[in-house]
Amino acid sequence: MPTRDPRPLPSRSRATRREFLKRAGWTTAALTPLLAGSSPRRAFAQTASPYPDWMPPSPNPPKRGKLLTRASAWDPPVLDPRLTNSVGLSQFATLTSNRLVRYPYSDEAANTTDLTLKGDLAESWQGSPDFRVWTFKLRKGVKWHNVAPLNGRELVAADVKYCYEQYAKEGVQSFTFQEIEGIETPDKYTVRIHLKTPNTMFPQNLAEPVSIIFAREVLEEDGDLKKRLIGTGPYMIKENTRKVRVVLVRNPDYFEPGRPYVDEYHILSTPDAATRLAAFRSGQSDIHFVASLNDAAAIKKTNPAAVIQEYKTVQTVFGLALAQDKPPYNDVRVRRAISMAIDRQKQVDTIYGGHGILGWGIPYFYFQDKMPTAAQLGPYWQYKPTEAKRLLTEAGHPNGFETTLFYYEYFPEMSSQVQLVQQDLKKNLNIEIKISKLDYTTFYGRYADGKWDGMSWGFKTGYATGLDEQTYQYMHSKSTKNYWRFADPGIDELVTKLRRTPDRAEQRALTKKVFEREHDQVTRMWMPYDSGFLVWQPFLRNTGSLALRRNDGYGASTLARLWIDK
Amino acid sequence: MYTYVARRLALSIPVLILSSLIVFGLMRVMPGDALTALMGESGNVSPKELEKLRRDLGLDLPYYKQYLIWAWQMLSLSPGDSIFTNEPISVALKKSIPVTVELAVLAMILGLAIAVPIGVISATRQDKPSDYAGRVAAITGLSLPDFWLGTLVITFAAIWFRWIPPLGYASLWTDPWTNLQQFLLPAAVLGFRLSAATMRMTRSTLLEVLREDYVRTAWAKGLGERIIIYKHALKNALIPVITLVGGQFGTLLAGTVIVETIFALPGMGRLTVEAILFRDYPIVQTNVMLVAVTLVTLNLLVDLTYAWLDPRIRYQ
Amino acid sequence: MAIATAPGRTFDEPVTDHVSRIRALWTVIKRKPLGMVSAGLIIILVLTAIFANVLAPYDPLAAQPEIRLAPPSWAHPFGTDDIGRDVLSRVIYGSRISRWVGLLAVGIGTCVGMIVGLVSGYWEGRLDLMLQRVMDALMTIPGLILALAIVSVLRPSTTNAMLAIAMVIIPGNSRVVRGAVLSAKQNRFVEAAQAIGCRDYRIIASHILPNVTAPILILASIWLGNAILIEASLSFLGVGTQPPTPSWGLMLSSTGRAFMEQAPWLAIFPGLAISLAVFGFNLFGDTLRDAWDPKLRRRG
Repeated sequence: MPTRDPRPLPSRSRATRREFLKRAGWTTAALTPLLAGSSPRRAFAQTASPYPDWMPPSPNPPKRGKLLTRASAWDPPVLDPRLTNSVGLSQFATLTSNRLVRYPYSDEAANTTDLTLKGDLAESWQGSPDFRVWTFKLRKGVKWHNVAPLNGRELVAADVKYCYEQYAKEGVQSFTFQEIEGIETPDKYTVRIHLKTPNTMFPQNLAEPVSIIFAREVLEEDGDLKKRLIGTGPYMIKENTRKVRVVLVRNPDYFEPGRPYVDEYHILSTPDAATRLAAFRSGQSDIHFVASLNDAAAIKKTNPAAVIQEYKTVQTVFGLALAQDKPPYNDVRVRRAISMAIDRQKQVDTIYGGHGILGWGIPYFYFQDKMPTAAQLGPYWQYKPTEAKRLLTEAGHPNGFETTLFYYEYFPEMSSQVQLVQQDLKKNLNIEIKISKLDYTTFYGRYADGKWDGMSWGFKTGYATGLDEQTYQYMHSKSTKNYWRFADPGIDELVTKLRRTPDRAEQRALTKKVFEREHDQVTRMWMPYDSGFLVWQPFLRNTGSLALRRNDGYGASTLARLWIDK
Repeated sequence: MYTYVARRLALSIPVLILSSLIVFGLMRVMPGDALTALMGESGNVSPKELEKLRRDLGLDLPYYKQYLIWAWQMLSLSPGDSIFTNEPISVALKKSIPVTVELAVLAMILGLAIAVPIGVISATRQDKPSDYAGRVAAITGLSLPDFWLGTLVITFAAIWFRWIPPLGYASLWTDPWTNLQQFLLPAAVLGFRLSAATMRMTRSTLLEVLREDYVRTAWAKGLGERIIIYKHALKNALIPVITLVGGQFGTLLAGTVIVETIFALPGMGRLTVEAILFRDYPIVQTNVMLVAVTLVTLNLLVDLTYAWLDPRIRYQ
Repeated sequence: MAIATAPGRTFDEPVTDHVSRIRALWTVIKRKPLGMVSAGLIIILVLTAIFANVLAPYDPLAAQPEIRLAPPSWAHPFGTDDIGRDVLSRVIYGSRISRWVGLLAVGIGTCVGMIVGLVSGYWEGRLDLMLQRVMDALMTIPGLILALAIVSVLRPSTTNAMLAIAMVIIPGNSRVVRGAVLSAKQNRFVEAAQAIGCRDYRIIASHILPNVTAPILILASIWLGNAILIEASLSFLGVGTQPPTPSWGLMLSSTGRAFMEQAPWLAIFPGLAISLAVFGFNLFGDTLRDAWDPKLRRRG
């Protein structure tokens, strides 16, 4: 059976569709000021911004050379990909290393949500009819970086087998790789993976930015992967000074000839947001990220030539997490009441200036073509404070109760949202929330530990691109990545069925059922969100950032196709 | 004199031991521990793996054993490894100490260079407008939070001058020009507060000294004002100032925490704060002990200088 | 932390007359305009804190997100913040937090420091040696770091930040008090009282304490300013006051910095409030010293 790639196919008439969208975008932008004065209940969840959400690749021939710098907020906690999923590592590990399969780069993608799987280290792959055996044929002539102890030797199937077995053994990737029963390498370039249970979407899991292929010799020599990161990727680490900078240099033996284009990429450690902004303005940083329209406008004022791309928001990463395995939140009526007592549309209109999305947990293009409307988010999503009060009273809390909420301020708008929720719940349900704003480590540890009480402004991990990751790996009751601590047999059944369904249309239908069930049972109370904007110096080309793969973070692998026009 | 030195030295030791106990105790009492930090942004580490990590890092030993191990490491000058990065602490220190030292020294120089002249002017023209101006400026310097000043400086440097200090720390020895560019603004911000305190101190001690008899005699003799001030008065007035500056060194080091974060300098202050937040015990303990030892030594030196200058103190 | 008093300074005149002291203070305030300014600022601060609920035009916690980030206007003289709360009301209520800072942090720090210093200085001996070594040990840890570590242990909140700051204040205070006690003990009155067998607490109360109050109050007034700054720094590092509490430090370090370009009033007004408060306290400390420090009184 031929490989069925269960993904949205790229649109046939790329050029015209893109043109149309661009034109439509500008028109809507022109109308926005007229609409901005009033704050009506919108039928559509998002206002268009004056910035395009797609940067088409440059039609000019790419130039080689030059230096790319970026002031980054994240220091890599460790270099060992078995120990962390942090974007601090992925921001360059995806450039030093490859995966078996990958998603399109910005100069090959049809649009921002193009998720066609492409071969990275693998040339082709095939699943058995029962989807329990996946065979990958490796590219020939791929060389490891020409540094000791690899010294530029060729990548072989045994290398891949070793990596996956290590991932399954220990560390944060183990849940994904433990569904592997065994790996065969019948020849140097073939990897055959046997799964314990069928999974039609297994290759997608291998395309996640965290599943990089690392070097066995390094692990065997050093005993761990904390000191050296050697891979097969377009860039090599020349210098890694903790809290100062990471210097990447071009790999001359990269298996894609002629690429990468840029000679060096410097990532400068800059923990303070104001400093990062100042660095961009003064030309010391080439790439910058801002969370809101106002921030983008402020940059345009001082740097009118800067290119701003709206980073397309297709899902929400954050929401109100409840300790659902305990009272009072294990009662679905309590959850529904809380959900109906929060005015989310107002958050979108005010804090995000109409630009954010209402909030849902699965990238919408996996189950429908347009963003969900408020009506589609179900009856318990709507703002109905009286109904909420009635439901909470019915559940046995006529006078509300007291609880705590801890969070980490990932961006300033989050604090605004948390405080608005606090006010809503107090006003409508008499639920008193005591807020604890924590530092990143305390927050992360407590949240991921899963033993906290009360509420939290929680998240699902930010790197997931594939559908299986988004559903089974995050929502199954037995998964270690189910931070929201819910165990819904209905969802378990749906997501297990989903990963066994090869037909794309059926997958969409099933995914939609998952989405609806989630909102019906209020298992994860998603909150409004805005993916923000990426700001680029005007001389950069091929900067298009794709949905779910921000190219200053988890999507950094696409920077291999970026070039500098100076 | 020697008994004085010996006595002071002997007293320093229990102080240092107590400091180490305080720091060690504080670190152990903190909720959450270094292992949660190691999990980075994911967290699917099973309890079994967690236990193994804990054993590898020696966190499962009884507290007194952990303390003794660490104390021995301190004394033998081999501070062990960071829990978070597994990198030897000595390596991290070798990289970060020069940054903080340079920042602190530059801040002191800048601070004093501003403070002493203003203090002199303020004292000699007491209660005149320039005195008020100086005092108001000084107290303003003491009233502005460091992080606010730092943020203002870096934001408006970018907006008005399109320039900020080059990011990516360059050492003084390899690239002195870039290095000075990087350190000038943060040192100025840090030194601003120090200069405020010093200016007030200079003013008040100089005022006192100017009333002393030997100064009055010099006036009577008809010596010029400048000679009186700089040759006679200032030298004596500066003694308490030196003490103050020595005492302020601790504050200076604390201030580096914030300035290093804003100006992206990889110094000890930033290292320590992040280590506290990450619960990286070995780094926090080592750093704080280092600072403690430095401060105790500095105090000792200051006291000894004092004793040398003023014989009365020696015989207390 | 600017310790404006030089070490080694003693108050060697037997001052027991509180009335004359207050009169001296009043004279100085009247004569020096800066003294009046500082006294005025402090009075304003205290009154604002007490009558906050009367003075504030809006509820400081009432969010109206529709009018968020509005510039100063007649309706909202200081503008509105990121969720539409009135900044003026928040700044006014913020004075209560600062008062809390004063009472809790500086109050506890000063009292405990005073007790430790008294005990140490009056009875001397081994107790003194031990206590002073502990105080020295605490002083070897830079203040902000110590406060940060303590707050991380206790859990971030306003109260815990205050306790942490109190811990930072205690060692320095105790040292100054000890010095004052030591010099007061040399006073002939004390010797005489001890000779005729007066009870210790009597001696302390009538002879030692009066000498000690002057340096304590001077230090306390300076620390009031510093404590506000440390609380702001702790908020900057993320471990101080919690939202939605209207503390000046939190307002300045979080929303003030985040929206510095779009809405500078979010930072200007809390920043101004902090600066004026610290300014007032520092200046008042100066004035107190001018009034009570016998050496400076000679200036005539």
